[in-house]
Amino acid sequence: MAKLSYPVSALACAAVLSACSDNTSSVPETPEVSAAPAPAAEAAPAQTAGYSALRNAYFGDLHVHTMYSFDAFIFGTTSSPDDAYEFAKGGSITHPAGFEMQLQVPLDFYGVTDHAFYIGVLREMANPNSEISRHPVAAGMSTLGGSVERGAKFQEILAFMRSEDGLEINDPVIRKSAWDDIIAAANRHNDPGNFTTFIGYEYTASAPDRGNLHRNVIFRGDVGPELPFSRLDSSNPEDLWNWMDGNRAQGIESLAIPHNSNGSNGRMFMLTDNAGRPLDDAYANQRMRNEPLVEISQVKGTSDTHPALSPNDEWADFEIMPLRVATNLYSEPNGGYVRQAYLNGLKMQAEEGFNPYKFGVIGSSDTHNATYAGEEHDYWSKVGLNDATPVLRGSVPLAEPTPEGELYRDTYYDTWSAAGLAGVWAEENTRSSIYDAFRRKETFGTSGTRMKVRFFGGYELPAADDPDMLAQAYAGGVPMGGDLLAETDRSPGFIAWVAKDPNGANLERLQIIKGWVDDGEAREEVYDIACSVGTVDPETHRCPDNGARVDISDCGITQGVGAAELRAAWQDPDFDPDQHAFYYVRGLENPTCRWSTWDAIRAGVDPHPDLQPTIQERVWSSPIWLTPAQL
Amino acid sequence: MAPGGLLKQPLLWFLAIGLTLFIADSRIPENRDEIVITPALRDRLATLWTTQTGLVATEAELNSLLDNWLKEEVLYREALRLGLDREDSIVRRRLVQKLGFIAESETIPTPEQGELETFYRENIDDYTLPVRYSFRHLYFQQRTAAENALARINEGAAAQEFGEPTMLNPAYAYRGALDLNATFGAGFDGQLATLTAGSWQGPVQSGFGFHLVWIDTIHPSEVTPIEGIRQQILQDFQRARQLRARDAYVENLLDEYTIVVEPT
Repeated sequence: MAKLSYPVSALACAAVLSACSDNTSSVPETPEVSAAPAPAAEAAPAQTAGYSALRNAYFGDLHVHTMYSFDAFIFGTTSSPDDAYEFAKGGSITHPAGFEMQLQVPLDFYGVTDHAFYIGVLREMANPNSEISRHPVAAGMSTLGGSVERGAKFQEILAFMRSEDGLEINDPVIRKSAWDDIIAAANRHNDPGNFTTFIGYEYTASAPDRGNLHRNVIFRGDVGPELPFSRLDSSNPEDLWNWMDGNRAQGIESLAIPHNSNGSNGRMFMLTDNAGRPLDDAYANQRMRNEPLVEISQVKGTSDTHPALSPNDEWADFEIMPLRVATNLYSEPNGGYVRQAYLNGLKMQAEEGFNPYKFGVIGSSDTHNATYAGEEHDYWSKVGLNDATPVLRGSVPLAEPTPEGELYRDTYYDTWSAAGLAGVWAEENTRSSIYDAFRRKETFGTSGTRMKVRFFGGYELPAADDPDMLAQAYAGGVPMGGDLLAETDRSPGFIAWVAKDPNGANLERLQIIKGWVDDGEAREEVYDIACSVGTVDPETHRCPDNGARVDISDCGITQGVGAAELRAAWQDPDFDPDQHAFYYVRGLENPTCRWSTWDAIRAGVDPHPDLQPTIQERVWSSPIWLTPAQL
Repeated sequence: MAPGGLLKQPLLWFLAIGLTLFIADSRIPENRDEIVITPALRDRLATLWTTQTGLVATEAELNSLLDNWLKEEVLYREALRLGLDREDSIVRRRLVQKLGFIAESETIPTPEQGELETFYRENIDDYTLPVRYSFRHLYFQQRTAAENALARINEGAAAQEFGEPTMLNPAYAYRGALDLNATFGAGFDGQLATLTAGSWQGPVQSGFGFHLVWIDTIHPSEVTPIEGIRQQILQDFQRARQLRARDAYVENLLDEYTIVVEPT
C-alpha cells in the first residue's frame, strides 16, 4: 500500500481544505493565492483544491505505447497501461534491458495511446496457447531473442501487415480485449485534483510513399467507442475525422493530434486534400473541429521549423529528424513543419477566407517503453531493446569498426531526442478542465524541460509588471491560442512571460516569432524580446551573448549566468493593420549537454563528432492570430 | 468492420474448415434449434452500421447485415457445439476479463453500520498526511539581495516592500515534499524542515534563486479525521471489497473442483 500513500494523502488534503472552508473552526492561516486575486463572483462547479481562475500550468505526456502496441511488444516492452499510469504518478518500471526508469517529478496528466491496428495482437502471438500463435507469421514470437532477432522479426511482421493478407491477424476479439483494458486502466487511475488520465489511441496511417500521417486520438470522457478507428479502416485521415464527427454526434467527444509532421515527407500540412483536390472551407472546418492541436516535439525530433524553411532563424536547426518515420528515406521538409503550416494557413485565410492550419501545440514523448523519454542525463530513448544502449543508438563507438570501416552503428536513433512534454493552462487538474484547455489551444510544448510560458495579446493589457497582471490580461486580452481583431489605427500589445524549469538550466532569452502575409508573400521574423544579459539590439532584434558555455568533458555549465524568469511587454515594430499575422513565443534555456554527449562521457569516450554536442532546451507557445479589421 | 472483412477473419476460416471436417459427423437433429431475429437485433445492427459509416442503413443493407449476422451466428453456435472455445486461450482470456468487469460493476457493496470506520482504522496509513507547510515567501535572484532584505526586515521594515517579481504564487498552503520539489526544485522541502514558524527566515535556495520564507504553520504528519473524507473512504472501501469479492468468487469456484497435480 505504500505506493498509494501520496495520491491518497493528497486527496485527503483536498478534502481537508474543503472541509476547512465549511468549518470556521479551522480556517487555514495562509489561503493559497495566485499571483493576483481571482475575479470575484465567478460561479464555478465543485472545485478541487488546486483550482485557480487564473489557471495553473500542468505538464503531461499524451503519447505513450505499452505492451499492446504491435511494435512496442516486439521491442521487448511487457508493461501494461496500468503500469504506465503508475509510472506517471511517480512509480518505477524496469526497462526490458534491465535498468530502472523513474521520473524525478511525477506528471500531472497522461494518456496511453497504443497503435489501434493489431492492438494486442503481437502479444497474443507470443502466447503459445493462443490460436493466433499458430499463424505462420507468428513463428518464433514466443522465443524472441536480442535486438537483432527482434529487428528481423519486426520487419517480417511489418511486411506481412502491409501485404494483402495483413487483415488475417487483425483479430477483433484480441483488439476488443486490449481496448477494454486500456479504457479501464485510464478510468481507474483518473484522480480529479491530483492526476488526470485520458482514454486515447494512435491512428497510425501513412501515405503510399511512407510519409507519416499519424495522429493520437484523445477522448474527453470516460467512455470510448466500441473499437478505435485504425489505418485498416482507412488510411485517409479525412475518414478518421468523419468517424470522430459521427462519435461526437453520439456524445463521444474527441480530438486528434498529428505528430511527426517532420517525417511526413511534406504530407501532413498539404495544400490539397488527401485526394489531391484544392482545399476548401468545408475541409478547413472539419480539420479544425477535429485537430485543434499538433505535437511539435517528441523523441523523433521537433517539427517547429527546418533550416531550409526558416533560413534566417538561427535556432531552426534544432533536433531535426530528417527521415520519413521508420524508414531510411529522406523526408521533404516542405509541408512538414508547423511554422510553414501557420503561414500557409494565413495565406489561405487572406486569399480564400478559411484556414485549415490554425492549431495550437503540445509536446509528448512517443515512448514505446510504457514510460517517458527520460532526460538528457538519464536518457531511455523509446524502442525497448533496439536502442537501449549507447552503442545501439550510435552515441558510443562499436567495439570494433564494421568491415566498411564505420566506427559507429549505422542508425537513425542518433537523430532522436530526449524530448517532449505537453503543457496546458487549466483551472484545475481534471479531465474536463484540461481537455477544455486543449480545445481553446491554451497549450504549449517543450523539448522535455518544464519551462512554463504565459502569453497574452490585446488592446487593453496591463503593464507587464502589474501585480494584478494575470487577471487584467485575461480580462483585457486573449491568451495563447486566441484570436485578435486588429484595430486600424493602433498596434496591439503583447505580454510574454517564461519561467525556468526549477530542476533545469537558467534561461537565455525570450522570443516572439511572427508570421504574416505581405502582398501574397508569406514572411516570418524572429524577435528577441527579453535577454538574460543586456538589452535587445533594435536593428538586429537580438540579445547579446550571455556567455553561458558547456564543458563537453564533464557537461558542467557556466554558473551564475542566465535568468530564472524573463518577462516583457512587446509591440510589433512592423505592425500593419491590413495584414493577417500570427505571433508565438519561444523561450530558450542556456545550452546544456545533449543525451549523446552524456552517453559518451559515461563511457569515457569523446562525443560522436557528427552529432550536436549540446542543445538549447526550449518552450513553444501556441500562437495568437491577428485578423485585419477591414477585410 | 465492413461485411466483406469477415471473409478475411482467420477465426471464421478456422471455423469454416472445422465445420467442413465435422460435417460428415453431424446429424440433422429432431428438434431444430431456433434462431430468432428480434427487432432489438435489427436495431443494434442498424446502429452499429450508423456508428461505423455515418449513414442510415437502407433496407437492402440491413438485410445484408442480418444475413451476415445469421451466417456468423450458426458458425458461432457450431463452434461452441464442437467445443472450439475451450481450445483457444484468447477466447478464454476474454471471457475471464468480461466476467471480471461484470463482477466489478455488479458488486458495489454498501457498508454496514460501523464497517467504514473499521476499514478506515485498518488502513490508517492511507489517510495519514505527511508533514506540510503553509507559507509566504519573497523571491530574490541573488543571495545578497535576500540577505540585505532580511536585515532590513529585522530592523523593522515592512516585508511587502521587498521581493522581486516571479511566476510563483506569493503563498502556498498545505504543501508536502513532492509538491514543493516539483514547484521549487529538488531539495526545497529539506530546507523548509530547518525553519521555524512565525518569522521571516532564510534565504532558502530554490531552482529559481533565493527566498525569504515566513512559515505560518508547519502541519505535522497527521491522521485525517474521518468526517471530511467519508466519500473517499467509501470509494476505497468499495474498491477493496470488490477485489475481495472477486477473490472470494474465485475461491468459491475453486471449491467446486478437485485439483489433481500429477507428478512431474
